[in-house]
Amino acid sequence: MNQSHSKRVILAVDDTPENLDVVKGILASDYVVKAAINGPIALKIAEKHQPDLILLDVMMPGMDGYEVCQKLKENPVTRDIPVIFVTALDQTSDEARGFSLGAADYIFKPVNPPILHARVKTHLALKQSMDELSQAYGIIKQQKDRMEEELNIGRDIQMSMLPLEFPAFPNREEFSVHALLKPAREVGGDFYDFFFISDNELALVVGDVSGKGVPAALFMAVTKSVIKTRAIADPSPASIVTRVNDEMSQDNPSSMFVTLFLAICNVRTGECRFTNAGHNPPYIRRQDGSMEVLSQRHGPIIGAMEDLAYKESSIDLGMGDELFIFTDGVTEAMDHQGTLYSDKRLEEHLESSMKSSVENLVSETLESVENYANGAEQADDITLLAFSLLKEPDKSEYPRMSVVIDSDFQEIGRLNTELVQFARKNNLPDDITRKLNIAIDDLVNNIISYGMEEGVDQSIEINCAYMDNRLLLEVIDTGKPFNPFEQLKADTSSSIEEREMGGLGRLLVKELMDDVDYDRQKNKNIVKLIMNIPRNP
Amino acid sequence: MDINIRNAGEINILDFSGNLDTNSSPAAESEVNGLLEEGSKHILFNFSDLNFISSSGLRILLATAKKLKKDDGKMVVYGLNDVVQEVFDISGFATILNLAATEEEALASF
Repeated sequence: MNQSHSKRVILAVDDTPENLDVVKGILASDYVVKAAINGPIALKIAEKHQPDLILLDVMMPGMDGYEVCQKLKENPVTRDIPVIFVTALDQTSDEARGFSLGAADYIFKPVNPPILHARVKTHLALKQSMDELSQAYGIIKQQKDRMEEELNIGRDIQMSMLPLEFPAFPNREEFSVHALLKPAREVGGDFYDFFFISDNELALVVGDVSGKGVPAALFMAVTKSVIKTRAIADPSPASIVTRVNDEMSQDNPSSMFVTLFLAICNVRTGECRFTNAGHNPPYIRRQDGSMEVLSQRHGPIIGAMEDLAYKESSIDLGMGDELFIFTDGVTEAMDHQGTLYSDKRLEEHLESSMKSSVENLVSETLESVENYANGAEQADDITLLAFSLLKEPDKSEYPRMSVVIDSDFQEIGRLNTELVQFARKNNLPDDITRKLNIAIDDLVNNIISYGMEEGVDQSIEINCAYMDNRLLLEVIDTGKPFNPFEQLKADTSSSIEEREMGGLGRLLVKELMDDVDYDRQKNKNIVKLIMNIPRNP
Repeated sequence: MDINIRNAGEINILDFSGNLDTNSSPAAESEVNGLLEEGSKHILFNFSDLNFISSSGLRILLATAKKLKKDDGKMVVYGLNDVVQEVFDISGFATILNLAATEEEALASF
C-alpha cells in the first residue's frame, strides 16, 4: 500500500495512447500515474502495485471496461480500489451497469481537467476515510470482544461460587433450604450462600454487588470469604456485617458496593438473628398463611463508609414458617411496557401460592416473574432463597454461666473453681476442663499483667456458654487495648541455659483451645475461647 | 495445692497434688528453692497427682533446671497426665527436661 504522505498512484487504462497522455498530463504533477493499454495489463498492474485509484476506459477491444471492473472486484487484492469509468457521452445508457459492477463514478470524454482533478481527489479522500473507519471498527470490535470475554469470566466465577446441590442438607430433617440464581445476560452481581457455623446455627446470605465482570466477581468472592471466616469466630450478624463493611470499604478504589442480607438461624430453637445492609426486606410466611415483612434496616450498603457499627434484629420462626429472601432482580423485573413486577405483586404471589416445599416456593415465584416479563429482556440477576422450619422448635435453654472478678491475681483461683463446677454440672470431659483452666489461668494472668493500668481497679467479666457441642468463653476487660494473640513469639526450642519464658502463657492459650479470637469493641477487650466438645458415644 | 517432700537416698522427691498455676506457684517455688539452698542436686518432681500446670508452673521448672545445670545436678519429672504432657509438648519442655512415666523409671535414671 502506498503511504499517505507520499504521492498516490493512479492507474489509467485506455486503448488509445493519446488519451493516456492527456490523463498523464493532467494528473502527473500531483500523482504517480501508471498506464495500461488494455484489460489484461491493467489487471496485472493493479494486482502487483495496488494503485490508490483506477481510471478505466469503457470501450476497449477484447476485454472491455466492464469486464475489467468485474475482475477487479472479484479479486480480494484489488476489490477495494475505487474505479472511475471514463466514457464517451453517447454511452450514458450503460452507466447503471457500471455502477452495478461496483464502479465509484463516471467521467465523460473529452476529459475536463478541473473535473478530473476534483473527482480523483474526492474518491481518494473517500477511500482514505473508509480505510480509517475500518481500522477503528476493528479496534473497537476487539475491545468489545475482550470486554465480553471478561464479563463471561466474571460470570463464570460468580456462578462457580454458588452452592448448587439440592437438597443441600439431606441428613437434616428439621429444616429445608432452597435457592436459585438466574443470571441476566450482561448486568449481574447477585450471590447467595448458606453454611453451618455450628451444629445448629445456619447462616443464610443474599447479596447484590454493584458492578460486573471480573472485578465484581472478585469483590463478591472476598465478601463471601470474609463473611464465612468471621461467622465461625463470632455468630452475630451485626458483628459479621460490621467486619465485612470495614474490610470492603478500606481499599475500595473502584467504589464497589454490596447490598447484603445476613441471617443466622438456629434450626433447633427457631431463633433467627439478622442484619440488613441496604437490601430488599425479606418476607416471612407463617404456617397459617399470614405474611410479615422483615422491614428493619441496620445500616447502609456495604463498602460506602468505614467504621460503621451495624445492628441486628431477631425473629422467631415456628414449625411450618417460611423465610423468603430475594434480590431486586425480582421486584424490578419489567414487562414489555417497562412496568415493574413490584413488591406488591410479589407479596400477592407469596400470599396466594399453595404451601408446599421451599423448592416449589422458589420455582413458582421465578415462574411468576418470567410469566410477567413475557419474554422482555431480563435486566438484572434474579435470586431467590427460601428457608423453612419443619419441626417444632426446641427452646430449652443451653447451659451458661457468668463470673465477674477484680483485676487481681488472687481472683484467678476463684474463677477456675467456678469453671470446674460448671464443667462437672454439664459432664464435660476432665481433659477439656483442665485445658480450660490452664488457658484461663494464663489468659487472665496476661490481661492483668499487661492490659491493666497500674493502681486502677478494674473488673474482668467471664461468660461461658455450652451449646451445640461447643463451649464458648468470653473474657471481657476494660483495660487498654491488648490483643494477646498478636505478634505471638515464644521460645520453644532453645536449650535450658538459653531458654526464655516470654510468650509461653499466651502460646498455651492459643494452642490448647480449638479456636481463639480477639476483638476490641468500644473500650473493651473481648477475647473468645472455643472448645469443641465431642458428642457422647 | 499440696507438696509433700520425701527422700530416696540422695534424691529428693516432691509429690505434687492439685494445680501448679498462678496462685500456687509462689509456694511451690519456695519449697523447691529451700531444697536447692540445702544443696540438693537430685530432684524428682512427682506429677502423678498433679491436675494441671500453667506457664507459672513451667517457670519454676525452668528456673530449677537452670540452677541444677549450673551445679551439675539433675532433675526428672514423672507421672504426667495427658494434658500436662500436651503442655510440655507445646512449650517444648518435653525436649529439654528429663521425663519419665513412673517413679521406678525416674529413680533408675540417676
